[in-house]
Amino acid sequence: MPIHSLGYREWSGPLSSADSRWTVIAGIGIRRAWQSMWLRRIVFFAWVPGVLMAMLIYLFEQAASEGNASAFMYNGLVEMFLGRGDRESIRETIAASSVMAQDLVTYRHEFWCKLLQVLYQRSQAIMLIGVVGITAPPLISQDMRSRAFLLYFSRPISRTQYIFGKAATVACYVLVISLLPGAMLYCTGVLLSPDISIVLETWDIPLRILAATATMVIPTTGLGLMLSSLTTETRFASFAWFAVWIFGLFAYLVTSSFVNDGSHTPLEMLSLFHVITNVQGWILDIRVENQIDVLAPLSVLFVLTLVSLTVLYKRVSAPMSV
Amino acid sequence: MPLIELNNLTKDYGSFRAINNLTLEINGGITGLLGPNGAGKSTLIKLLLGLVHCTSGTGRVLGHDIVSGCTEIRTKVGYMPEDDCYMHGLSGVECVQVAAQLSCFPTTEALRRGHEILDFCGMGQERYRNVETYSTGMRQKLRFAMAIVHDPELLILDEPTSGLDPEERESMLNRIQVLSRQMDKAIIICTHILPDVQVVCDRVVIIAGGRMTLCEDLAVLQKSPDPSLTVYLQGTAEAFAKSLRDQGMRIEAESERSLRVFGPEEQTSPAVWKTARETGITVRSIVPSRTSLDEVFLKAVQETSHADS
Repeated sequence: MPIHSLGYREWSGPLSSADSRWTVIAGIGIRRAWQSMWLRRIVFFAWVPGVLMAMLIYLFEQAASEGNASAFMYNGLVEMFLGRGDRESIRETIAASSVMAQDLVTYRHEFWCKLLQVLYQRSQAIMLIGVVGITAPPLISQDMRSRAFLLYFSRPISRTQYIFGKAATVACYVLVISLLPGAMLYCTGVLLSPDISIVLETWDIPLRILAATATMVIPTTGLGLMLSSLTTETRFASFAWFAVWIFGLFAYLVTSSFVNDGSHTPLEMLSLFHVITNVQGWILDIRVENQIDVLAPLSVLFVLTLVSLTVLYKRVSAPMSV
Repeated sequence: MPLIELNNLTKDYGSFRAINNLTLEINGGITGLLGPNGAGKSTLIKLLLGLVHCTSGTGRVLGHDIVSGCTEIRTKVGYMPEDDCYMHGLSGVECVQVAAQLSCFPTTEALRRGHEILDFCGMGQERYRNVETYSTGMRQKLRFAMAIVHDPELLILDEPTSGLDPEERESMLNRIQVLSRQMDKAIIICTHILPDVQVVCDRVVIIAGGRMTLCEDLAVLQKSPDPSLTVYLQGTAEAFAKSLRDQGMRIEAESERSLRVFGPEEQTSPAVWKTARETGITVRSIVPSRTSLDEVFLKAVQETSHADS
């Protein structure tokens, strides 16, 4: 017996708010997930594209202040970082802006949005698959395996709080690789711009970043947790998660090879990657004439989220009902 | 006001009736909840904690309705599950800390309280090890610590001594008694180990087939319908037995050195001492005869199964 043992004592101290109980569950999940070396690597590398694009903004602002932004865009680093389609798109933007009497505000606005589009649709969407694939599968499957449900639910915590806590774990890491780089990019642009009034001109960009982030976080968190709740074996949930992305993309590539007109087709609904990036592209694209029909991908994401949450709630409730 | 008050409580799982019109009152002290496998004990516990909702009937635990007040109930009740359950990937002390935090303890206080409770439960440095490496007995102690960390008014312990070695079992029963006798906690022990019930419980509730078949104080249950004393002697009992029979007492030999003397204790006890002095035989001990809890349990369960059939 330890020498400082005081035996059993009653507790009369203050208690914290009942509304914050989900944060305890989220805290456990975040701490445990961070122990994964792969997750730490992905989170680290997820910031690299954001930093590179921040450098682009810096160079752009430098060139803009010297009055040769267009030359910078044609000859500069854009071609190093962006794909062919994006490069062409930016050239068009620059050309259009030049016609509009060097309207630097519009020019800058479009350039930032384009960078964010590339950031979210390319690098962060791929990082997202890895981050959710590492954090989500063990969250509920391990609780089912170790029968921890009774330990949780014999406490004053509801199933909704439990699910919210688990979802917050996944969402936390997804936000770190999506919202924060986007916000960092925007803040860099604002800080490097010559006038703070640029905030008024670009007020919609933070909202677009939030919406694009929500498109990534909500459906993927729901799907990841649902897959986790369907099995007691974490590896099965991980396999199912990656299979959804890989087989979806594969099915899309195979079926779309028969349709080569380059337009958006219903076949894209087979690939969750394309569904999410299409919606993000729509959110971050400020040029109305380019808008694609997003009703179908939005509906897919909505139905996916709804089904995931319904199954998740039922699976979490199941151990209690017998 | 009773701590637990159930009125005509019924719980159906599809066509299977797990709890059948159960009416029950439980007050303070230590109550043993007994019953054969599948009797409905676990379902009753889940109903008390509000983990499942009853099909019909009403119930109150610590004054709160078991349907609408389940959050308040779980704040005031500590539950130790029977299953080998644990929080994956955490150390022992982290598990207890999390249990306290889920009961709204501030983070630092939860950790301090966790250490204090683990000291009370006799867990040393192993508290810093990952729970997956724990033995069955250590996990049992850990679950007990998690159940009591938030200082509950009512403690529900499901098989608290299963999987423990004799020494640990005794320690666990001592802790239960300390909580009840010194800290005035109400405790419900759900177990199949009847000697444990005899050691610690004040009253017994037996459930069979989803119905309550018996609810009585342990002392009353164990009181023999035909009062008697079992007398253990140093030496043979023949002369001693003959002398008692001569005094008109009913005697039944149990072994060479022990016999059973029938009659009320206040009459038989002085007569036994007097006879021992007269015959020069040393009395080693005198034990009032009690009905075995096993007999009570079997009788209650058999009556229910006969009634069902």
